[in-house]
Amino acid sequence: MTVKGCEPFLQAYDIDVNNGDTILDALHKIKDVQDGTLSFRRSCRSAICGSCAVNINGAPKLACKTQILPEFEKHGRLTIEPLSNFPVIKDLVVDFDSFWEKVHKIEPYLTPKESSAKTKDKDGFWIIKKQDALKIDDVSNCIFCGSCYSACNTMAVDNQFIGPAALAKVWRFAGDVREGNNKKRLAKVSEDHGIWSCSRCVECTQVCPKDVKPLIAIEDTRAKAIKAGIKDNAGVRHVESMVDSVKRTGLLDEATMTVKTLGFMRSLGIIPLGLKMEFHGKMPLPNLFKSIKGIEEVKKIYEEVEKKGSRVKAGTHPKDGWGS
Amino acid sequence: MVSHDVLIIGAGLAGMRAAIEAARQGLNAAIVTKVHPVRSHSVAAQGGINAAIGENDSWDAHAFDTVKGSDYLGDQDAIEIMCKEAPKDILELDSMGAIFSRDEKGRIAQRPFGGAGFPRTCFAADRTGHALLHLLYEQVVKCGIGIYEEWFVLSIVIEDEKVCGIIAMDIRTGILHRLQAKAIILATGGYGRVYRNSTNALINTGDGMNLALDAGAPLMDMEFVQFHPTTLKTTGILVTEGARGEGAYLLNSIGQRFMSKYAPNALELASRDVVSRAEQQEIEEGRGIDGCVLLDLRHLGEEKIKERLPQIRSLAIDFEGIDPVKEPIPIKPGAHYSMGGIKTDLSGATKVKGLFAAGECACVSVHGANRLGGNSLLDTIVFGRRAGISASIYAKENNIKEFPDYQLKETAHSIAVITNRRQGERGSVIRDELANIMIKNVGVFRDKERLFAAKEKIKELKERYNHVYLEDKGDIFNTELLETIELKNLLTIAECIVLGAINRTESRGAHFRLDYPKRDDETWLKHTMFYKKDDEIKIDYKDVAITKHKPMERKY
Amino acid sequence: MKYAYYPGCASQTITKEYDSTTKKVCKILGIELLEMTDANCCGAGLITDYNYELSITLNARIFAIAEKMGLDIMTICSTCLMIMSRANKELKEFPKLLKKVNKTLEKAGLHYSGNVKVTHFLWTLSQDYGLDKLKAMVKKPLKDMKIAPYYGCHILRPSNALGFDDPEKPVSLERLIETLGGDAMPNEGKTRCCGFQIVLVTQETAVDMIGNRLKEAKDAGGKCMVSPCPLCHINLDSYQREAEKKTHQKFEMPVFHLSQIVGLALGMSIDELELGRHLVSPENAITTVVGD
Ligand SMILES: Cc1cc2nc3c(=O)[nH]c(=O)nc-3n(C[C@H](O)[C@H](O)[C@H](O)COP(=O)(O)OP(=O)(O)OC[C@H]3O[C@@H](n4cnc5c(N)ncnc54)[C@H](O)[C@@H]3O)c2cc1C
Ligand code: SF4
Ligand code: SF4
Ligand code: FES
Repeated sequence: MTVKGCEPFLQAYDIDVNNGDTILDALHKIKDVQDGTLSFRRSCRSAICGSCAVNINGAPKLACKTQILPEFEKHGRLTIEPLSNFPVIKDLVVDFDSFWEKVHKIEPYLTPKESSAKTKDKDGFWIIKKQDALKIDDVSNCIFCGSCYSACNTMAVDNQFIGPAALAKVWRFAGDVREGNNKKRLAKVSEDHGIWSCSRCVECTQVCPKDVKPLIAIEDTRAKAIKAGIKDNAGVRHVESMVDSVKRTGLLDEATMTVKTLGFMRSLGIIPLGLKMEFHGKMPLPNLFKSIKGIEEVKKIYEEVEKKGSRVKAGTHPKDGWGS
Repeated sequence: MVSHDVLIIGAGLAGMRAAIEAARQGLNAAIVTKVHPVRSHSVAAQGGINAAIGENDSWDAHAFDTVKGSDYLGDQDAIEIMCKEAPKDILELDSMGAIFSRDEKGRIAQRPFGGAGFPRTCFAADRTGHALLHLLYEQVVKCGIGIYEEWFVLSIVIEDEKVCGIIAMDIRTGILHRLQAKAIILATGGYGRVYRNSTNALINTGDGMNLALDAGAPLMDMEFVQFHPTTLKTTGILVTEGARGEGAYLLNSIGQRFMSKYAPNALELASRDVVSRAEQQEIEEGRGIDGCVLLDLRHLGEEKIKERLPQIRSLAIDFEGIDPVKEPIPIKPGAHYSMGGIKTDLSGATKVKGLFAAGECACVSVHGANRLGGNSLLDTIVFGRRAGISASIYAKENNIKEFPDYQLKETAHSIAVITNRRQGERGSVIRDELANIMIKNVGVFRDKERLFAAKEKIKELKERYNHVYLEDKGDIFNTELLETIELKNLLTIAECIVLGAINRTESRGAHFRLDYPKRDDETWLKHTMFYKKDDEIKIDYKDVAITKHKPMERKY
Repeated sequence: MKYAYYPGCASQTITKEYDSTTKKVCKILGIELLEMTDANCCGAGLITDYNYELSITLNARIFAIAEKMGLDIMTICSTCLMIMSRANKELKEFPKLLKKVNKTLEKAGLHYSGNVKVTHFLWTLSQDYGLDKLKAMVKKPLKDMKIAPYYGCHILRPSNALGFDDPEKPVSLERLIETLGGDAMPNEGKTRCCGFQIVLVTQETAVDMIGNRLKEAKDAGGKCMVSPCPLCHINLDSYQREAEKKTHQKFEMPVFHLSQIVGLALGMSIDELELGRHLVSPENAITTVVGD
């Protein structure tokens, strides 16, 4: 438990546990009986308000949804700490200010596009097809608990990174058929510390207690940004060179990718490393690959998918046939 | 000193809806809330929000269902307004970007709810409150409305019978601040935590109702507490009425759909008070299982459960270890909603000039003696909007008032008294004893003896409260201090509930007296009013507004 | 024991030594690998960022080839494992999706019925082959070798598509190291990210991650690391000097491929293990064993 101005320290408590008790029950027992000074946030106690996320044996979880016994049996201990990647205020209470700032930065609200007789019914209500609603079904479950933000690997080293929760929120609007402000929002999150800074570590999707799958939202958003023509950044060049390499050879051609992604100047900058790699026989030479034997099949797949390209939208739901 | 035109206390649906309205009027509006807006309890609402937008539905029919549901205690002028304005408000939410569930044609879907003659409840799967609360938060961000987040309001300051501002504690620093305002809107939600078995969040402690009482605004109909028929056995977490709306059965220990005895037509979809009493009777007559009856969803099939009731499924799995696709869920009645609250007129105004109220903390009264499912979210939106408008008008017509100095000192002193106490009793003990006696003696079934015993107990607890001491003497995020202040509020609320229930020698809606099992329109077709004078609760009565619907016997 | 072997793109170029040593090790152990020479790249997630349909169809092509071979797929790359497992899960879970993908595949003369499993060399050793059997094959136990296990991301997460180790408490690398006679050094960073996916995009950020992983391994007393993923290897090994420069410290932390520590214990020589191809020489970390 930490107090502002003190060195953080762990404090041990002994409590009796009943089958089915949650971590939040334990925290209450401690606060009510043993230590009134213990501070933590909680409200709904039913996994919907997002107040109570803490690190439990190193992994961010909702205290109200996590049962004590299975957790204890698995780890042989029960260490409860404040979330990572947030400044600590006191004990288990952390400062969410920059988390919210980032959420606000993505303009988290619908800016309706122009409607027509097709998009609205006679009473003025939006007409939304089920498959369109499905696209944003997962992301609209987010409760802003901060678990993903705490586990995020990019966040741990780049505190300006906008983070998985805010990026999932981007898809909440970017994936909404009613949205009219996509171009601007997508351009904004394509800048530094945005969608292209995510290292695809899958922690966010793994730890999310509401199955929001932020990484999938990020992938969908990336695809949508590329489609919208927002391409002037290293992330997109990285993707496009891969798409291109696989189309040409069936495989990934590391050397051309490096040159393409970093641009000519920056690739010069990494020459010392390249030289070292070459010395060890590691520097891949451009177009080193011959194509795979079945390259014609691969090309056919590209051709078919691209033919339908306009029909297939990024980020549709697999339940509906396409999309993640 | 910082000042605002309109200050909204509470960032649930009612508070944020009101704030948006004030911002639209071009006023300087700000919200003060003890938790971040999306942590407010509105987030937990599951089932949906009512509006007569269906082809063959009408606001009239909605109004009649609501009047009947209220056991004729609801004020019919207010009910008419709510039902008439509902479709427009849903339309507005839709255009803001709400994600309501859709039917095959892509239009807003509606599900049947208890006590309603028509499938009239719009929903976002089984997380309607979450969808709407996040939506309104988005709109608040869009409007650039200021939020004092994690500020706990301690008192409303009144001079010459007019509001002039508030005193609130910044929870992070423990510092007391004064905020000046021309108009103040209370939107602090319910008090469900008075009861042990409750669907309510731990922050629902009725703070706003106490702020109002202290400011001189009366409460109304506090004895009417809704017990929801389906709450999880160990945690009291709600299972939405939407489950029964989708077709779930209630079964007793011998496998009977017992509702056929109590409400032969509406069955499981009778009004909440009726279903809760039926369950309680089954349990008390020995046809329960471990203090519960069963809610059976299995025949709905896995696909429908996953699509329409996904949250219910995970709640049952995570908190009760039961997968409703495979097993029925043990459930029992639990405290859920406060029909009573701060008395307001149709515009949300209270008796105090410049003080308005909306949402669950207020009582217009549209719910009377029993609220229909899906009508509370509607109440927050319709009357939140209306309170926002009238507070704005008031703010435009009035000036900022001088803030008296002594108020801050008094508030600071009252806190210091608690923190300085060196020894005494922990507040948690008193809180638990209160919650226990309330559920035991002032629950689904009441009688004179149990009510008087509760009254005595509360008196004792209030006395003991004067000796509560804190282990946490710090300034930063002192949640023990907050809980202690909330406990005082819970005690006052409990006292009002009990006093109202003792006086009301009839059974109406959610208030059921075993010793007076009949409704008595002759004597009791009236609202109970609660005032605070010299730290004592005083009671008075007021007529019910009846327009079209003369009281009839209520049958489902 | 026979697999359709999918080495992944990296191990056909930059980390060739991982591919060749895996083949040698499997030969000794009697695990038969039929290389999928005709398979395409899984897309490493980058193609998902471009077009989901393209990505899932390209993965389905890989599965279709394996299905024709009548074999399950074994890969030595965690990222290939994760991308293929995710695609495979979706294809199996959503019949409508499979049907649409097949429509495209059929134009290229292919079909996937959804009957292939994807596994990783580490899982093969831990489960299908079995650690007891492996133990019996050990000739030179890795005595006193202090090895920091490094899982990285894609062999653990998302667990609902992978489902082998518990991402909160993985054990397979530790068990393997112990089976081979080495000391597994518990370290905080073992399930954290090496930053490979962004090293060409935001190199600074990736290098910070690399530095942290190396430091955590070193602080835990590790004299070397072992990685089941060629991409993590590239970052931790090839970018180690950059990380040292940025953090102003020396790591000298050799990183073994999974196959190499197994090979070492099976008695293969340094030359056979192609350790000379690493930028940070692992030889110091293993002198004790060779001297045995
Ligand atoms: C589990 C559950 C499910 C429900 N489902 C439905 C449903 O399906 N349909 C329906 O119509 N109704 C439903 N209800 C009822 C409905 O959700 C509530 O009545 C409604 O959301 C209340 O909204 P509100 O804005 O009045 O208050 P709340 O959302 O409770 O917000 C109260 C606000 O006041 C603030 N506050 C309180 N005290 C202080 C203080 N001292 N200082 C500063 N700020 C303070 C809080 O921070 C919070 O922001 C449900 C209720 C529960 C408990
Ligand atoms: S995405 Fe998931 S983990 Fe992240 S804030 Fe939202 S609910 Fe929490
Ligand atoms: S996948 Fe990306 S956004 Fe998600 S936790 Fe990892 S780095 Fe962060
Ligand atoms: S208390 Fe609300 S999510 Fe845990």
